[in-house]
Amino acid sequence: MVATAPPITPSTEDTTRARPKGRWAGPIYSIAPTMVLLALFLGPMFILLYYSFQKASLAGAGGWTFDNYTSILTDPTYGKVMLTTVMICTISMLIMLAIGLPLAYILAMRTPPRFELLLLLMLVIAEELNPLIRIYAWRMILGRGGVINWTLQTIGLIDKPIDSLLFSSTAVVIVLSTTYISFTTIPIYAALKAVDPDLLEAADDLGASFFTRCRKILLPLAAPGIFVAIILVYIPLYSEFAAPALVGGTSGYTIGNAIQEAILESGNRGVGSAMSFMLLVLSGAVAWIGYRMAKIRRLQATS
Amino acid sequence: MSATTTKIESEATAGEQRGRGFSVGGREGRARAAAITRWVFLAIVVVILYGPLLILALFSFNDSIVIALPFKGFTLEWYREALQNPLVRESLKNSLAVALVVTPVALILGTMGAFATTRFRYKGRGSVAALSAGPLIVPWLILAVGALLFFSKLKVPLNLRTIVVMHIVVAFPLVAAIVTARLIRFDHRMEEAARDLGATNREVLRYITLPHLVPALAAAAILAFSYSFNNFVISFFVGGFELTFPIWVFSTLRHAQNVPIVNAISTLVSLAQLLIVYVAWRLWRRRSKKMAANDDPMDMLW
Repeated sequence: MVATAPPITPSTEDTTRARPKGRWAGPIYSIAPTMVLLALFLGPMFILLYYSFQKASLAGAGGWTFDNYTSILTDPTYGKVMLTTVMICTISMLIMLAIGLPLAYILAMRTPPRFELLLLLMLVIAEELNPLIRIYAWRMILGRGGVINWTLQTIGLIDKPIDSLLFSSTAVVIVLSTTYISFTTIPIYAALKAVDPDLLEAADDLGASFFTRCRKILLPLAAPGIFVAIILVYIPLYSEFAAPALVGGTSGYTIGNAIQEAILESGNRGVGSAMSFMLLVLSGAVAWIGYRMAKIRRLQATS
Repeated sequence: MSATTTKIESEATAGEQRGRGFSVGGREGRARAAAITRWVFLAIVVVILYGPLLILALFSFNDSIVIALPFKGFTLEWYREALQNPLVRESLKNSLAVALVVTPVALILGTMGAFATTRFRYKGRGSVAALSAGPLIVPWLILAVGALLFFSKLKVPLNLRTIVVMHIVVAFPLVAAIVTARLIRFDHRMEEAARDLGATNREVLRYITLPHLVPALAAAAILAFSYSFNNFVISFFVGGFELTFPIWVFSTLRHAQNVPIVNAISTLVSLAQLLIVYVAWRLWRRRSKKMAANDDPMDMLW
């Protein structure tokens, strides 16, 4: 599954004062985690950067070059793959927001507390189970002899099975948009949980229609959560490669597949790491924008 | 499920009606329509999330090598074959071993990290916090590719050990995030009061701080375990020729069409994971009843 972070972290300022003998304790506690991350997180990131500027050779590195980046940016096949990826990820994200927003609203505002936790757990558990199992399950639904084709044939809507259901970009979108529903819903839920339900009551009593209440009250207040959801979901969507590899066929070939093929199959480290690094920079940009927007929105909401 | 949902909705509606004693004409009907809409919506979400898994489980009992409707009859053959398959056994053993090493190490490192970034003020605290957020934001595929190149550059052989190390790198920042969230909401006067009453630092940690952290640590342990056990991308890149359970599923599905033993073993693995969460949930319920603490449900999740 994807990375999780607490969606809205309050300021840590007033929690730091406790320990009297804390002058060196903080740095001491942080040594082990920091060393691990410096070596095994930043290390790989720098290697990626290094290889992305190296000429391809059997030995692994053959001198400095910009070729990897120029070939990615000028080759139309990569352009097409990138376009497919953007389409698949954006559509999946929109579908998940369309499910996650109402779901978060129902969970935060319309569910008694004792069922709230149960429903949240059900949501999380469904997606914490092995993602590969879920992909496989969708194959049984979308395939030639799958549930959908069989049902349509039995009721006589079609004569022979629709092959394009599976191994297409549509299949990838279907699988991906059921993979991160919990990560879309929970940050929005957390944002809405902070809203006073009386606000909606008041609006209702003053005669605001359902859509007005959504647009003027719920959406602005849910906005910080929406941006967090985008960070948690939209970024990892771009690097998915198991789902496209198993249900995507040729029309669902994404940048994740291209990276995997370059690194593991054709041994082209230069191009593979250049693509990875570009994806990394892009992810960083999305995360930063999402974080800023969430912060701005929250300030606006509280003022 | 449906019974539960109906109850929720009827209670919600009742709540609405109580809230508006002066309600006029169409309002009640409108509230009912809204409740039905919410009911239908929740049902659809449950079907989307659990339907595929149910179908997967159903096909594991289907007496045919071809996974297609209609069902041919009931069999337990696939379970027998799956449990006897040497590759399945090896992959499950490897995944379990990796997750059992990763979970405690991630808990320790993550808790240390959480204390380091919330409890003390020192130069570089911000950088430590930012660094430990890194693995949560960087997509796993990119980290996996980087790690593969990193290990091959340093001529480190790829095996279960490299898998363990990289799983720790992604799992402990998650633990740190969960524990941090709990520490931030912790009322410090509790610790100060204990100290004023003469407790030593160790006693404060043992009797005040750790008990408060237990739900967060339990949730973090379950998530870290499931991160590691279910991780495919990182294991696939840095695992060399080692087989973990997700890698076995992937390669089986890639090279063959749908295979019923995958259904059988996936059903068992999913049930085992559900059982773990269910047990944890019961323990947590009992604990919170005993302590009569109104623990925030979000603590279980983050």
